[in-house]
Amino acid sequence: MDILVSFASGFMNLFKLGGEQFVSWITGIIPTIVMLLVLMNAIMSIVGPERMEKIARFCTGNPVLRYAVLPFISAFMLGNPMALSIGKFMPEFYKPCYYASATYHCHTNSGIFPHINVAELFIYLGIANGVAQLGLDMAPLAVRYLLVGLVANFISGYATEFTTRMVERQQGIRLSREFKTAHN
Amino acid sequence: MADFKSIRVEHGAGGFGGPLVITPTEKKNKVMYITGGGAEPECLQRIVALTGLTPVNGFKTNCPEDELALVIIDCGGTLRCGIYPKKRIPTINTNPVGKAGPMAKYITEDIYVSGVTSKQVHPAEGEAAAVAASAEPQAADLPKPETGKFTATKKVSQTLAEQENKSIVTIVGLAAGKVVSTFYQAARDAIQTCITTLLPFMAFVSMLIGIINGSGFGDAFASVLTPLAGNIFGLVILGIICSIPGLSALLGPGAVIAQIVGTLVGAEIGKGNIDPQMALPALFAINTQGACDFIPVGLGLAEAETETIEVGVVSVMYSRFATGWLRVIIAYFASFGLYAAA
Repeated sequence: MDILVSFASGFMNLFKLGGEQFVSWITGIIPTIVMLLVLMNAIMSIVGPERMEKIARFCTGNPVLRYAVLPFISAFMLGNPMALSIGKFMPEFYKPCYYASATYHCHTNSGIFPHINVAELFIYLGIANGVAQLGLDMAPLAVRYLLVGLVANFISGYATEFTTRMVERQQGIRLSREFKTAHN
Repeated sequence: MADFKSIRVEHGAGGFGGPLVITPTEKKNKVMYITGGGAEPECLQRIVALTGLTPVNGFKTNCPEDELALVIIDCGGTLRCGIYPKKRIPTINTNPVGKAGPMAKYITEDIYVSGVTSKQVHPAEGEAAAVAASAEPQAADLPKPETGKFTATKKVSQTLAEQENKSIVTIVGLAAGKVVSTFYQAARDAIQTCITTLLPFMAFVSMLIGIINGSGFGDAFASVLTPLAGNIFGLVILGIICSIPGLSALLGPGAVIAQIVGTLVGAEIGKGNIDPQMALPALFAINTQGACDFIPVGLGLAEAETETIEVGVVSVMYSRFATGWLRVIIAYFASFGLYAAA
């Protein structure tokens, strides 16, 4: 009988621990994120996709704008996954490269701007929570995540130009480097 | 429509939506699958056999949306499960996922069915209801209402907004109303996102954490994770493993695996087993596979041509593999001084 009771209480304890974790996240994380989301959603809808398109056309010309500035802005303004749609303003050759950079931007900026990718926030939040448990501020981690992200995402985007050339040779395809003006 | 036959697809155990009736036509004669990094889903053979649709592997190539009678995905509940319903293309999800993710509002019973295996696919017997394949975007072209007079069908504000000569009071009033409603809608969306994506994930991870910490598993995980995530060599290895082309596409869906690993690493940091400085390189190491599962869909969003997708899928996986370890190392050097005082 005692064994049964101790098994039962051990079993319930698993879920009690889980519940405590759940409540601590709800009170500790949700309120701030909801407030941020309200503001960011409003900014996104005020700016609107049309203005984003103008910025995009301007940014396609040079690698730094293309893989660091543009994906950053589009991740901020459109969030995941619509940030990826901005790739349509690029010549075909650069679309995979933009994708490589923009998808990472949808993660590395989420420490400060959680609205970008709420569904996948726990990549950052899971780790940052551990830091918070030690009584340390999460902000320095979020800032460095964003800054390192800017550099690393640019490298990842730019490197994709080389791998794309490589795959082009493998498959015997050549993608257009020119933007088709007849598009749309 | 010589060889094409309709099928009826029901949702499987724990699934959502449906039953969908898929009716191929001469034009809509393809079924695209974007599953498991390009592996054929189990139900595909039966669907192809019953309908006569041409299967298309979304990881290898793409096809025009207006030729798609059906899309098969294996989304864990984040993005893909909403994208095709949003475009009103009938969608089968092999995972039992309901209305979830940022596009949850587009996931409705009449366009989406989940938890599907070959057992849920039946020939449709004489059902004329070709609902799914021909579903049109709704409410696109309602007749333009006449402007001017107040009517019982419109609010005062709508009538005022449609007038051509607006007074200043009207303009200011409408602008203020627009700002308020923009923010109100933003708040609604925020709460919706919380309910559909954030809270379920928190509940799921909390339960895992409870079980892991409450049972003996926690120590076992720690003994595996600490040597991997506790030093830069382990993290670089972790980053390289996650970005191996092919494996990276399997690790991707919903970033669920990365999020769980992140939470576990966080737990070890919280217990003091891993230095908090390592949080930064760890963030990069657990996510080197980022979005490798999503390449065809993402490039589709960018209106890429078929051959761009063929090249892009391979190219992005290669570049993830080539740069993943470098990102971890950059992050490692950038982490010097982070939480140094602690």
